[in-house]
Amino acid sequence: MGFSWKPIILSVVAGALLAGPALGNEKAEPDPATSPYWDPIRKITFGDREIQDGKDVVRVYLSLRADDASTVPVTVKAQIDQKPDLYIKTVYLIVERNPSPTAGVFHFTPDSGRVQVETRLRFEDFSHVRAVAETSDGKLYMASRWVKAAGGCSAPNAKNAVPAHLLGKMKFKFEEEMVKYNEPALVQLMIRHPNESALAGDFDPSKVAQFVRSVVVTYAGKPVMTAEVDFSISDNPSFRFYFVPHEKGELRAEVEDTHDQLYTQTFTVSDDIKLPGG
Amino acid sequence: MTHGIALLLAALCAAAGHIALAQQSGPFELDEIAPGNFVHYGTLEERSPANLGDQANIGFIVGSRCVAVVDTGGSLPVGEMLRQAIRVRTGLPVCYVIITHVHPDHMFGAGAFRVENPTYVGHHNLPRAMQLRGKFYVNTLKRDLGELAEGSDVILPTLLVQDEMKLDLGGRTLVLHAWPVAHTDNDLTVFDAQTGTFWASDLLFLQHTPVVDGSIIGFASVLDRLRAVPAQHFVAGHGRTDQPWLQALEPERRYLELIVDETRHALKLRQTIQHAVDTVGLSEEKNWVNFESFHRRNVTAAYTELEWEE
Repeated sequence: MGFSWKPIILSVVAGALLAGPALGNEKAEPDPATSPYWDPIRKITFGDREIQDGKDVVRVYLSLRADDASTVPVTVKAQIDQKPDLYIKTVYLIVERNPSPTAGVFHFTPDSGRVQVETRLRFEDFSHVRAVAETSDGKLYMASRWVKAAGGCSAPNAKNAVPAHLLGKMKFKFEEEMVKYNEPALVQLMIRHPNESALAGDFDPSKVAQFVRSVVVTYAGKPVMTAEVDFSISDNPSFRFYFVPHEKGELRAEVEDTHDQLYTQTFTVSDDIKLPGG
Repeated sequence: MTHGIALLLAALCAAAGHIALAQQSGPFELDEIAPGNFVHYGTLEERSPANLGDQANIGFIVGSRCVAVVDTGGSLPVGEMLRQAIRVRTGLPVCYVIITHVHPDHMFGAGAFRVENPTYVGHHNLPRAMQLRGKFYVNTLKRDLGELAEGSDVILPTLLVQDEMKLDLGGRTLVLHAWPVAHTDNDLTVFDAQTGTFWASDLLFLQHTPVVDGSIIGFASVLDRLRAVPAQHFVAGHGRTDQPWLQALEPERRYLELIVDETRHALKLRQTIQHAVDTVGLSEEKNWVNFESFHRRNVTAAYTELEWEE
């Protein structure tokens, strides 16, 4: 697959040092521009590169108050079209106060049609969430959103064990019943996986993390969405995104976890086949 | 039936630094709901320094040989008040501390009983859940209670219930049942056969919005099985009622069923999780306390479970 997930590991370390034992409990939204959590993450991930205000390029949508800190729906949406000469090639999704802040690095192509990704996040604490978009001309744009995670009865981990025979089972679900060629189609990829980190397990040091680290989705052999992700993504990871079918073809997802387990799911899309939904 | 026990401040002096706590939380009330079955009803309010996390219904059962504690409250001071209340009532040793599930409001008082050297008892899935969540729960307790959280910690059970287990308290046998995934994946109930008293813990919510932290389908199915329990007397995990057992199960059954139905409908219409969270089950709001805090996350849990149905 060829990508490196080194930035993710580095930001794990930065986050772990910063997050510490104390949980913040701010009533009001702290200023994202002066957040002490952000600066080291920014330096490690983007170096000295300039990051511009993203409101005309990328936006991030979350509820201010998270109802379940282990499953917080998030949507990142581009404000520009995917044109072959200028498109969003990468979106970084960062929960800056999580032990491992970089939840995902998502890569898109002009064949993605529209850049929009919906997933579900875990929150260790109240945090700014940042979406940084990198356009094909190498510029960076950022949007951020303050989220209050509810905590309490919910916890940053799986509600119950995923049975071994279901591990890695996947499903595609579509927003529409029928596809139209040459138009962006919204599809959800669901993965049965506990996406477990060892960080939450304080009592058993021998426990090894097992989480999904890469997702590669192609249509008719061409990449439409690939992502390096980690355990800031909720258990049973879900990703909803667009692709553009130009003709009948195979939608294919390849998912790999930290135990080097590879899971594959395919679905043949055609304008005369009813698409599975809810 | 009601035996209110007002613990004097002096009773808490033994636990250094806890004097102020009793002033904050008021007297520690106990009801003997059936002979030898003593219940302390927790508050329906959210956790705060003023209530010390005293939210769950907790208590103890007295045999001729020893005492079994059923849940210990949401912080060490609450557990300590429960222990003192036992000491006011009986000199018998505490032989078992039964932890009905992993949630902090039920288990953070466990440390108060260490001095009694009891056997800590739990569902076979409880240690795993404690390992996964313990650190997070300790951190959020500290966030909410500050220094009052000091000493509240997670105690792993050493006696695990696989399916069913009997505990002998001398002249009184408790039947413990480990349920399949429902409210959580580590729910344990206690039945005192002698008096027909059933300690349902959080398999039964009264007044307080039910919380789904396991499986909503499993919860509804276990609730259905609970109808067969011959409960002459019973204790819910939260809240109380004067109604008999079968009627008491009804509001929770109705709530869970409605969420399942409306979430399935949202999925059928290919609606997003956010849309479902914003629309499902709102007609139940008038029937429950703390709806705002728990309902939407129940819908989140229902959606992420039911979206896997074919």
